Amino acid sequence: MQNFDEVDFFTDKSLVNDPHIYFDYLRSKGPVVFLPARGVYAVTGFDEGVAVFQNEDVFSSFNSSWGPKPLPFTPVGDDINDLIEKHRGDDIAFQMISSLDPPAHTRLKSLLRGLITPKRLKENEEYMWGLADGLIDEFIGQGSVEFMSSYAKAYATLVIADLLGVPEEDRDEFRTIFQQSMGLGMIDPSPQDAVHPLPLIGGKFFQYVMDRRANPRQDVLTSLAQMTYLDGELPGPDVVVALSTFLFAAGQETTVRVIGGMLRILAEDQALQAKIRADRSLIPVFIEETLRLESVLKTDYRLTRVRTKIGDVELEAGTPVMLCISAMNHDPRKFENPHAFNLDRPNVRDHAAFGRGVHACVGAPLARAELKVTLERLFDRTSHIGIDESRHGAEGSRTFTYDPSYVVRGLSELFLTLTPKS
Amino acid sequence: MVKITYIECDGTAHAIDAKPGRSMMKNAVINRVPGIVGECGGNTRCGTCRIYVDAEWLAKMDAPRADELDMIDFVGDQNPGVRLSCQIEVTEAMEGLSVRMPKSQYPEG
Repeated sequence: MQNFDEVDFFTDKSLVNDPHIYFDYLRSKGPVVFLPARGVYAVTGFDEGVAVFQNEDVFSSFNSSWGPKPLPFTPVGDDINDLIEKHRGDDIAFQMISSLDPPAHTRLKSLLRGLITPKRLKENEEYMWGLADGLIDEFIGQGSVEFMSSYAKAYATLVIADLLGVPEEDRDEFRTIFQQSMGLGMIDPSPQDAVHPLPLIGGKFFQYVMDRRANPRQDVLTSLAQMTYLDGELPGPDVVVALSTFLFAAGQETTVRVIGGMLRILAEDQALQAKIRADRSLIPVFIEETLRLESVLKTDYRLTRVRTKIGDVELEAGTPVMLCISAMNHDPRKFENPHAFNLDRPNVRDHAAFGRGVHACVGAPLARAELKVTLERLFDRTSHIGIDESRHGAEGSRTFTYDPSYVVRGLSELFLTLTPKS
Repeated sequence: MVKITYIECDGTAHAIDAKPGRSMMKNAVINRVPGIVGECGGNTRCGTCRIYVDAEWLAKMDAPRADELDMIDFVGDQNPGVRLSCQIEVTEAMEGLSVRMPKSQYPEG
């Protein structure tokens, strides 16, 4: 039996396949628990975590992508707001939109206001249907498929590419670039890893922005390139590039993994699959329960700006807080029998898989549409989806491997068998 | 502080001291009023902060902008007086305001 008191969540690969064994152990000590290995407070309680998310005045997102690494400064005193802002420039991780605090965050986010609107989503959804079909065409005749590389990655990449208005002729290039994972929160980051996708995307977007500002067209890229802040000021091209790159990253790492999670659940549970095939109106709740159960973004981070409390626990200013979103979504005080998949769960939509508060996922409606279209089209085009036993073993003794990341939960590979509809 | 009451569809009332200058959604969420979700954090992007406001109180609020109306339309809520509470800034003129909340902020109930 593992000694969980001594384990380091951020480097221990044995915690990857099922993080809940460890999270439940933490929860047994309380909804807010100090992890001495890294000096962070882990929050596993749903209510406690949501309160942190909702309180950006007290909890800075400075370390949201920094994770458990030591801060670039030593907190001093009861209010570290000035220290936080002084160190923004220390690393790109402190300047991403997800790490900013209001008012800078509010200002930057306003640039997205034309992008993910009901109208744009409707247009994007039309594209998704054709895209799903085209990708399915590529493998449906084979009878089996490695779903992450043959569908999930390409689909998630191309949907964002379409949303941002990447020209058709460049989309294959984007697809190739994103076959390589971005390695978010990897336990063993290898310096020999192949080229990171984001700088390549950044280069393309710089070209697009400069071109559309010089030669505007009637397209989404032009709207993106020309979007001003609310006061009318035009952002520098680097700002637009950074934002576009961020959206690619955000829409990739997460959506890809939920797609994998959904298909694994359906392929493993044939009765559930049959039920949803017979009644497609169940697809939305199926998606929500998958989002809750899988909680693809396992952890997020905050930093106390002032002395404060979470639940009963007092924290000094400058204390890193690890929001264990997976654990929050498996809090038995909130979700009965939380580790079980339950299509009839009454409060399924209360889950916090997309976060809460000012940093709540802007892509949530996009993600939901992507997931829905994926299932609808797969159900239209196949009569059966199963687990490829030659790869994952027989029922009852399956082997699934998850990417060794302490931030995201996702299958490295998912081999499925498919029977095309005649 | 401004006294505002949020009423659930079964009649349960939640009276809070709302801070002016902050949205009705944010005030509700900080005070843990059940029935207001505000999933998108107040960006007119999710429709999960809907409230129903009587005509006399609507007159004391700024009219909804196009993006709020688009979102309400998208969500398909046609109840009279429907507003997104994230787009309503609390002012002193709202002292004693009382609003109703939908049975659920989500279609499945």
